[in-house]
Amino acid sequence: MIQPAAGIVVWLGVSLVVVADGRRGQAVGIALSALGLAVLAFVTAGAVAAAAIAAGGAIAGARRFVSGPAGWEILSPGSTPRLVLCIVTALVAFWVADAVTSGPVASVRFAVITAITLSAARVLSTAEPAAQLSAVAVVAIGVASAGAIGSTDPAVWPYLAGGVVAAIVGWLPLRSPSAA
Amino acid sequence: MPPEAIELLVIAAAALVFAVAFAPQAASRRTLLVRGGAGLAGSAAIAAVPTLDVALLVLLMLGVLHAAVAGTRSFATRLRPPVIAVGMLALGLLLVRVEAPDLVARFGAVGLVAGLAASIGLLPYLHPIEPDEALTASPVAWLGFIGPVLAVVVVVRAQGALPTDAGGAFGGMLVGLGLLNMAWGGVAAWLTADEVAAWRYSFVADWGLVLCGFGLTVADGQRGALLVLFSILAGRLPLYLISRQAIREKTTTRRPINLVVAAALAGSAPFVGFGARILLLRASTQIYWPLALVLAVVMLLWLPGSLRLGRSLGQPRRRQALGVALILAVNVAAGLYPLPLLAAARL
Repeated sequence: MIQPAAGIVVWLGVSLVVVADGRRGQAVGIALSALGLAVLAFVTAGAVAAAAIAAGGAIAGARRFVSGPAGWEILSPGSTPRLVLCIVTALVAFWVADAVTSGPVASVRFAVITAITLSAARVLSTAEPAAQLSAVAVVAIGVASAGAIGSTDPAVWPYLAGGVVAAIVGWLPLRSPSAA
Repeated sequence: MPPEAIELLVIAAAALVFAVAFAPQAASRRTLLVRGGAGLAGSAAIAAVPTLDVALLVLLMLGVLHAAVAGTRSFATRLRPPVIAVGMLALGLLLVRVEAPDLVARFGAVGLVAGLAASIGLLPYLHPIEPDEALTASPVAWLGFIGPVLAVVVVVRAQGALPTDAGGAFGGMLVGLGLLNMAWGGVAAWLTADEVAAWRYSFVADWGLVLCGFGLTVADGQRGALLVLFSILAGRLPLYLISRQAIREKTTTRRPINLVVAAALAGSAPFVGFGARILLLRASTQIYWPLALVLAVVMLLWLPGSLRLGRSLGQPRRRQALGVALILAVNVAAGLYPLPLLAAARL
């Protein structure tokens, strides 16, 4: 039961990143996504992989908690299409992970598909750098977790790299557009 | 590390040294060196890491860094293409790896091809371009500098992961997308109003040849693709860098040097692009001869665009003239005797 629950936690977290416009909502979303993916990484790749994902997500979430638009701003006016996207993505991802594909890690497939798809959609749908970087952090740990699929003994490198990328991206100094 | 990637890294490093040495005075050499060095280090990391998953994470980091540097486009606009590319590549890789019917692996191949196009900035995922943007912050950085190593790594590693059936679909899609980019890039480089956009489309057309070469799964196709990548790094990119000052000053000239540069850009003999085209035509005759006919017709589209781009170079003087002479000499040498390049890549 732990793996399906972790998959749902990942979906909840990344959905929060998608529907929240405030820094607190996004920080909790990153933390939930990282928590779910860390549990799945612990099951499939061991404690080091889980620690890398958890640390990367925790640093990214902590950074988001102190920077970006203030408040929670969950489901602000105009966010209905994003909510619908989250639900439809979950249904399609569940169908692909459980019915179209087979193998021992259906929860990982579900979690990775929802994390990458919804985060990429968030990057496309907003021009707010904080929201985009929150989504990039989730993409990083999602891509890292995809390494466990199709491998009986997944390497730890993708998890370490994913954790590092997720931890770093929130700290980059951003510059306003200017003439060349 | 794939041997083609090592070779392209060395050529990219040489292109960076050339850019720093021969850049127009308006360009900041320090900025070129720092940003170019970061791009080169990222490309090296993409080639050196043990798995494609880690390479995608390096690409993601590189995309965020590129979006964060000062430029005329917003951070959001520049961040979207690399993130979408990484997303599609990762999902494509996932569908290739899972236990599922063959059709699912074919969908995975679609994701890999689409992600490759999005990461480099090819049709149907052209990155927005601003004429006034610095070279290092513009989409040309992906098309002309990071793209060659990235494409080789993605194609080589993806072909290793794809099952036979999906591998054929992967090659077919590369050829189809390559033809689209060749035709669109060739016509747009000729007809678009803006000179910077014309240069960008000429890169896109060259990338069409590369994709066709990768898609034609015979040795000559791979050889042709490698030579086109060489001509991008050691020909088109440095010529574009030198032409930027004339473009900014809106100067066009019709001197013999402009004609010679146009010939080099169009891939005529004895430049390296000619040998690449011959190899691609030979590869296509080995696979399916009508494809060679289509390729030959589409290759004619390089002529009008290249004449225009040659004129946009203006009249290079002093150091720039020396730089143009050096580029032409290297391209002639590689065109007359490409064997060392191919041997170094074990092709």
